[in-house]
Amino acid sequence: MTTTTDPVIQLEVGSGGGLIGASTPRKEDQRLLTGHGQFTDDLHVRGMLHAAFVRSPHAHARILGIDASEARALPGVVAVVTGEDLAKLTSPMVVSQEGAHPMVMETLPTAKVRFNGDPVACVIAVDRYVAEDAAELVDVDYEMLEPVLEMHAATDPGSPLVDEGLPSNLHTRQTKSYGDIETAFANADRVIETSFSSQRLTHVPIEGRGVLAIWDKGRAELSFHSGQQTAHVTRTLLAKRLGLSENQVRVISPDIGGAFGLKIPLFREELTVAAMAMTLDRPIKWAEDRAENLMASNHARDDSVSIQAAVAADGTILGIKAELWADYGAYAFYPPSYMIDVVGWLLLGAYKIENYEYTINVAITNKCPAGTLRAPMAIVTWATEGTVERIADELGLDAVAVRRRNMIRLEDQPYRSAPGYLYEALTLRESFDEALDRFDLEQFRRSQASARGEGRLLGVGLATVLEPTTYGSAWYKASGDEGSGHEAATVKVEPTGAINVMVGIIPSGQGYETTIAQVVAEALGSTTDNVAVRLGDTHIVPYGMGSRGSRGAAAGNGVAYLAALTARNKVLRIASHRLGVPIDSLTIVDGSIFVIDEAESRLSLADVAWMCYMDPTSLPATEAPGLEVHQTYDPPELTFSNASHVCVVEVFRDTGQVEILDYHVVEDAGTLINPMIVDGQIRGGVVMGIGQALYEESIYDDAGNNVTSSFVDYLIPTADCVPNIRIHHVETPNPNTPRGIKGMSEGPVQGGIASVALAVSDALKGLGVTVDQLPLHPSRILGYLRAAGAQDD
Amino acid sequence: MKARAIHLVVNGEQASGEVMPRMLLSDFIRDDLALTGTHVGCEQGACGACTVLLNGRAVRSCLTFAVQADGASITTIEGIAGPDGELHPVQQALRDRHGLQCGFCTPGVVVTACALLRDDPQPTTQAIREGLSGNLCRCTGYQSIIEAIEQAAAVGASTSADGTVA
Repeated sequence: MTTTTDPVIQLEVGSGGGLIGASTPRKEDQRLLTGHGQFTDDLHVRGMLHAAFVRSPHAHARILGIDASEARALPGVVAVVTGEDLAKLTSPMVVSQEGAHPMVMETLPTAKVRFNGDPVACVIAVDRYVAEDAAELVDVDYEMLEPVLEMHAATDPGSPLVDEGLPSNLHTRQTKSYGDIETAFANADRVIETSFSSQRLTHVPIEGRGVLAIWDKGRAELSFHSGQQTAHVTRTLLAKRLGLSENQVRVISPDIGGAFGLKIPLFREELTVAAMAMTLDRPIKWAEDRAENLMASNHARDDSVSIQAAVAADGTILGIKAELWADYGAYAFYPPSYMIDVVGWLLLGAYKIENYEYTINVAITNKCPAGTLRAPMAIVTWATEGTVERIADELGLDAVAVRRRNMIRLEDQPYRSAPGYLYEALTLRESFDEALDRFDLEQFRRSQASARGEGRLLGVGLATVLEPTTYGSAWYKASGDEGSGHEAATVKVEPTGAINVMVGIIPSGQGYETTIAQVVAEALGSTTDNVAVRLGDTHIVPYGMGSRGSRGAAAGNGVAYLAALTARNKVLRIASHRLGVPIDSLTIVDGSIFVIDEAESRLSLADVAWMCYMDPTSLPATEAPGLEVHQTYDPPELTFSNASHVCVVEVFRDTGQVEILDYHVVEDAGTLINPMIVDGQIRGGVVMGIGQALYEESIYDDAGNNVTSSFVDYLIPTADCVPNIRIHHVETPNPNTPRGIKGMSEGPVQGGIASVALAVSDALKGLGVTVDQLPLHPSRILGYLRAAGAQDD
Repeated sequence: MKARAIHLVVNGEQASGEVMPRMLLSDFIRDDLALTGTHVGCEQGACGACTVLLNGRAVRSCLTFAVQADGASITTIEGIAGPDGELHPVQQALRDRHGLQCGFCTPGVVVTACALLRDDPQPTTQAIREGLSGNLCRCTGYQSIIEAIEQAAAVGASTSADGTVA
């Protein structure tokens, strides 16, 4: 097998077969449309048992004892296990990072429960019905403790401790400073203050979490079938925590019914099921129900941002100070600074601001733990763009002009942001201008004014999105986080010419089986039908970092493309030798090798593949047998894409309802592999942003009970409440990635939140309302209007 | 509780089983009949992923007991395409318009759309949006699903499927 880690010389090579950039229909669809997809809960093996979890009804309580005798006596129950049992079978998770005390998470808690829904025991039974019956019979003796429910109050010295192993509920507080912030504020004509708060919410993949764990006693191997975004990393963690060698664990991620960042950590329930499958030597399945998903998987987004902007009278932004808070809930699934810190270093957005200081504060509370939800920094665009709007308002300037005065142009790049990130080939200003070419703002202002005359409230929100998509290993090193950003692929041209590709990214709807087939077929001069893409099985696929962020295109498809180019080069070297013509006179089209300008092919890709396996003595002496390439690729420290969103809303004064009337996105994700799929990512992402802006919220009552445990209480957008979204692509290739691919899929969420919230703010302008808290559901809007005395004017 | 025998027709074929009275129709279809295309997304009757046709009506199989389906005729997602895998116009349109991403809600969307087009072969866009408002999708933003159903209506989806569906 050829192995290389140096793709740089190959970046410019490629057959240009037109497959990259084509809206190829998806290879995945046939099975998914006909009911033949295979998701975790569809798996069934002989002798399989089912797990159900006993969960805490309290936000914060000491576990005094657990009596499972009645549950164990129920016919069909095989085992009931608690944290004490699992502590003997597994090791705990420890999350540590510079600047914070390590946080320990037991497999199941032994001393106390920390949120409503915290798992305290696991029942294994012959079917799910019996398992749930038995879970009801487990009697847990609790001593109630005062719950900690508000992140700012959580850090008061007198507050009860959520984690008694830590000195405080303030898990970390860190300040970073760039440029000369004191001088910037001293020289300012005005200092303008803003604040933005986002609600706690959750991921809501339509398929919840789940696992089928199978212990093969004969081989002493664990098979862990579970929709996992980062299957290899999960394998590493499973082996460590179960005391197995990593070559005893196989993680297989079947079809995933949506993930959105939820299906990254090794969850405690999943580890419990794996440990019990080994202990009982029986296959065990667990599929969470919706209540568990809404209450006890991961939450996200409980963030706030307070900004002070030092500005000149002409609207130039001289400096920014920001105070960021995040409520991470009861346990650390991620390092304390990981998610909220991204808000910090992205907050300057599309603007040239040299002097900057931000402080992050992470509190822990008695709520479901926080995780990474598609665009973990999602609040950031609203905060940046909302601040620019406020600056314009306060200075009596036009907000478009203030944006343009401060925006980074293509000609300013390469540009290094104050926190040190390199921007290249970004059309922040140019895409903003494009959006305003497509949306007639002046015409809208006239319509808005005349509607206001009739008592109607229309508003427009403009949001320019800077989206970090692909993190290289240099980013991880610099940030102090464990991990890498490289990715791995194996391309095998089999003896008959059929192509198998294995890549370490894992799909949950992004269409990788199609896009990877496109890039590999393009590089090898083949067809997408001839390429099978195999993902998610750690026994087959080389170790990769999986799907997180928006790395699928630049890292995952990028490495597959590079590996296929390496295979192409070998094919052409062999063909050149065989035909006695120079290598640069050859090309491959639809699997046939041509001497350029000749009408007839003299050799096929399959002929060369056959030689490689079945007749290797015919190869040039310098070529090894076989036609398999393994390749890794480490992308630049950080790759960005950008977009501009325009949203028009009407706010109904009597009901507080918000209706979206028009929505535009101008997106620059560099070279597009499959525009149809990119459009799907934009529309889905914007609608997730709309959900956050208008509908969704995980709510706790005063006692810390989660009161949003069903789809009746937790509202995600439905087909009748979202707009059509008009999309325009600008394609500015990134100079440092394969084929100029940038990737995208989180930016639309950032832009969706920002443009909807700013449109509502614009609609309410002049009524004395400050829109600073999401979601903007009818009762909040009515509350704003009542507080401003503007409901009946 | 005692198991009860049920007999029904599923996708045109006879099926029977011994089920506990509390067994959900969705579990019977998935676990006993091994038709796992019907997905369970909430068990609260809210997400629509488990939608099947019960005597022609689109129902939530997670809110229906298996015993209630005794004697009924059921169509699941596996019964929508042609016998050789030829896609129904609704399925084809969803593929053409990229009306699915992860595919988990898709079986419920397909079954709901088939029932919608049978009852209203030329629906307005608003009627489609309302008709699909009980099917939650977290991936697509719905626009491509709505456009797909419009496309299916335009090619006469309601008359091109077999009698059970359309």
